[in-house]
Amino acid sequence: MTSVLNWILDPLSRTFMQHAFVAIVLVGVICGVTGTFVTLRGLAFMGDALAHAIFPGVVIAFVLGRNFLIGALIAAVLVSLAIGAIGQSERLSNDTAIGVLFAGGFALGVALISAQRSYAKDLSSFLFGTILGVSRGDLLLTGAVGLGVLAVMALFRRELGLIAFDRTFAQAQGLNLWAYDQLFLLLLSLSIVISLQTVGNILVLAMLVTPAATARLLTDRLPRMAFLAAFMGAGSGVIGLYISYYGGISSGASVVLVATALFAIAYLFAPGTGVVTVRLARRLHYAHPERDAFDLDDSLQAPLSEPPYPEDRTTHSRGLPTAP
Amino acid sequence: MKQAGKDAVSASNTTGEFTSAARLEATGVSVHFGSRSALEGITAAFGPAETVSLLGPNGAGKSTLLKVLAGMLPPSHGEVLLDGAPVRKPAPGVVYVPQRTGVDWTFPVNVLDVALMGRAGSRSRLEPLSKQDRADAMEALERVGMHRFAEVQIGQLSGGQQQRVFLARALLQSGKVYLLDEPFAGVDVPTQDLLIDLFSGLRREGRTIIYATHDLAQAAKCSDRILLINRRVMAEGHPQEVMTATNLRATFGGQAILVPVEAEIARGAGGSTT
Ligand SMILES: Nc1ncnc2c1ncn2[C@@H]1O[C@H](COP(=O)(O)OP(=O)(O)OP(=O)(O)O)[C@@H](O)[C@H]1O
Ligand SMILES: [Mg+2]
Repeated sequence: MTSVLNWILDPLSRTFMQHAFVAIVLVGVICGVTGTFVTLRGLAFMGDALAHAIFPGVVIAFVLGRNFLIGALIAAVLVSLAIGAIGQSERLSNDTAIGVLFAGGFALGVALISAQRSYAKDLSSFLFGTILGVSRGDLLLTGAVGLGVLAVMALFRRELGLIAFDRTFAQAQGLNLWAYDQLFLLLLSLSIVISLQTVGNILVLAMLVTPAATARLLTDRLPRMAFLAAFMGAGSGVIGLYISYYGGISSGASVVLVATALFAIAYLFAPGTGVVTVRLARRLHYAHPERDAFDLDDSLQAPLSEPPYPEDRTTHSRGLPTAP
Repeated sequence: MKQAGKDAVSASNTTGEFTSAARLEATGVSVHFGSRSALEGITAAFGPAETVSLLGPNGAGKSTLLKVLAGMLPPSHGEVLLDGAPVRKPAPGVVYVPQRTGVDWTFPVNVLDVALMGRAGSRSRLEPLSKQDRADAMEALERVGMHRFAEVQIGQLSGGQQQRVFLARALLQSGKVYLLDEPFAGVDVPTQDLLIDLFSGLRREGRTIIYATHDLAQAAKCSDRILLINRRVMAEGHPQEVMTATNLRATFGGQAILVPVEAEIARGAGGSTT
C-alpha cells in the first residue's frame, strides 16, 4: 500500500514535475473545451495548421531572446486573420487557404531555425515540447491565458454552439458570423500557443481532437461533452506523465497515447454506441427480445398521431412536462 | 383551413388589437449576384394577419426575396421596411426558416435543445434559460407533435420530423412575421395539415406569414394573397384573380405544366370557396 502511495507521490516531490503536472492539467482542460468546438465544427485541419503556422513566431522570439509565448501569440493572430481573409476569396476554399499558410509558415520557421547553431536540438524541442522545463513564470502565463480563454468561451458558449450547429439560424438571429469566427480562431490560437511547451507543435492536435472525440462518444449533449473532454484531456495528461516518468518515454507522446487509448476504449465499449457494447446488446436482445431498450427505428415508423414510445420512456426521466 | 377566407376577413378587421402585428414592405428591391440579377425592382407590402405565398419557377428569386425580407441579404437597390423602419440586419420580430437547413446532424443536441434555441436570441448572455422557457419549448414541440421526442438526438429523426422540430423552434421565437422557404417540400400529408393549422393559428394571432412554394393548388387554397415571381413581380393579388393561364404562362414560361396545374387549381379554388 505504501509502495503504491510512494509510486504516486514520488514524482510530485520534484519541483519540475509539479510544474509539469500543473501545466498538463491546464492544457488538458483548455484544449478539451476548445477542442469540443474544433471537432464539432470540423476544424481539425485548421487547428493543425495554426499549430504549424505559428512556428516562425516561436523561432523569431527564440532568436531575439524573448518569451516564445509572445512570439507565438503574435504569429497566431496574424495567421488566423490571414486565413480568414484568404478564405473570403471567391475562388479559394478555406481549406486551401489553410493549406497554403500551414506549409508556408512552417517552412519559414524551419528555415529560420536551421540558421541557428543548435539546429537539431532546438527543432525537436519545439516540435515535441519541453514539458520538464516549464518555469514558474511559464505556468503563470499559461494559467492566465488559459483562464481567459475558458472565461470568454463560457461567456459566448451559446453563440459559439449556435454557430457550430446552424450557421444560417445564427445569422438570422443577428449574430455577426465573421466576428464570432475570428473570436473562435483567436481562442483556438491561444489554446494552441499555451500547449506548445507541454506537448509541442505536432502533438497539440491530439490534445484538441482526441479527448473531445472521446467525450462525443460518451454523450449527446454539448455542455456535458465539453466537461467530459476537459476531464479526458486532464486525465490523459496526468496518467501520461506518470507513464513518461517511470517508463522513460517522451512526455508528449506518452500523454497523446493515453488519450488515444481512452478514445479506443470509448469507441469499443461506450454504453449504447460502442462497437462491442452494441454487438453484445444485440446478442442479448436476440436471446431476450422482450427486454429490448427502445428501438428508435421502430418508433420512427409509427404514425405521429400515436405515442411513438410507451409512456414512461422518454420525457419523464428529467421531470419535463408530458402530454396526458 | 376550410374557413381560411372567413378568418382573413375577421382578422383584418381587428388589426389594431394585435400586439404581434407588423407591416413588412419591400420598395424597389433589386438583387444582383455579380453581373446576374436575381431580383429586379420588387415592390410589395405584407400586412398583419395575412398569409402570402410566393410562387415562381426554379431560380425565380423566391429564396432570395425571403432572405432580403429577413434582413440576411442586403439588396443591391431598394429597401426593406419593417413598420416603416429600414431593415439592414436581421430584426428580432422577423423569423426566417430556410429552404434547406445546413445543420450538422451529428451535433450533440436533442430535440428540446434545438427548440430552445428559439429563445436564445431573446435572452441576455448571462441569463440562463428558465423553467418557463423549457415549458414553452415543450408546448411548442407539442404543437408540432414532437414532444415525445424531446430527448432524442436531432440526427436520429426522419427528415419530416426534423422539419417539425425546426418549426417548433420558429414558433418559440414568437415573431411578428414568419418567412418560410418551401415549408411544404418533402413532408407527408399529416405534416402538411399540421403546417396549415399552424399557419392559420399564427394568422389568427395577427402574425404575417410569407412562404415560398411550388404547389400552386395548395397555395391557391391556403393563402390570402399570392405573389407570382420571376425576377419581377409578375402578378399579385387574391388567388382567384392571380391564377390565370396568362399570368401563369408569363411567370412559368412553357405550356407543358399549365394543363394539369390549371385543372388542379380549378379543383383547389372550388374547395376554398365553400
Ligand atoms: N449566393 C448566390 N450567388 C450567386 N447567385 C445566386 C446566389 N443565390 C442565388 N443566386 C441566383 O439567384 C437566382 C435566384 O435564386 P433563388 O434561390 O432565389 O431562386 P428560387 O426561386 O428560390 O428557386 P428554387 O425554386 O429553385 O428554390 C438564381 O439564378 C440563382 O442562380
Ligand atoms: Mg428557393
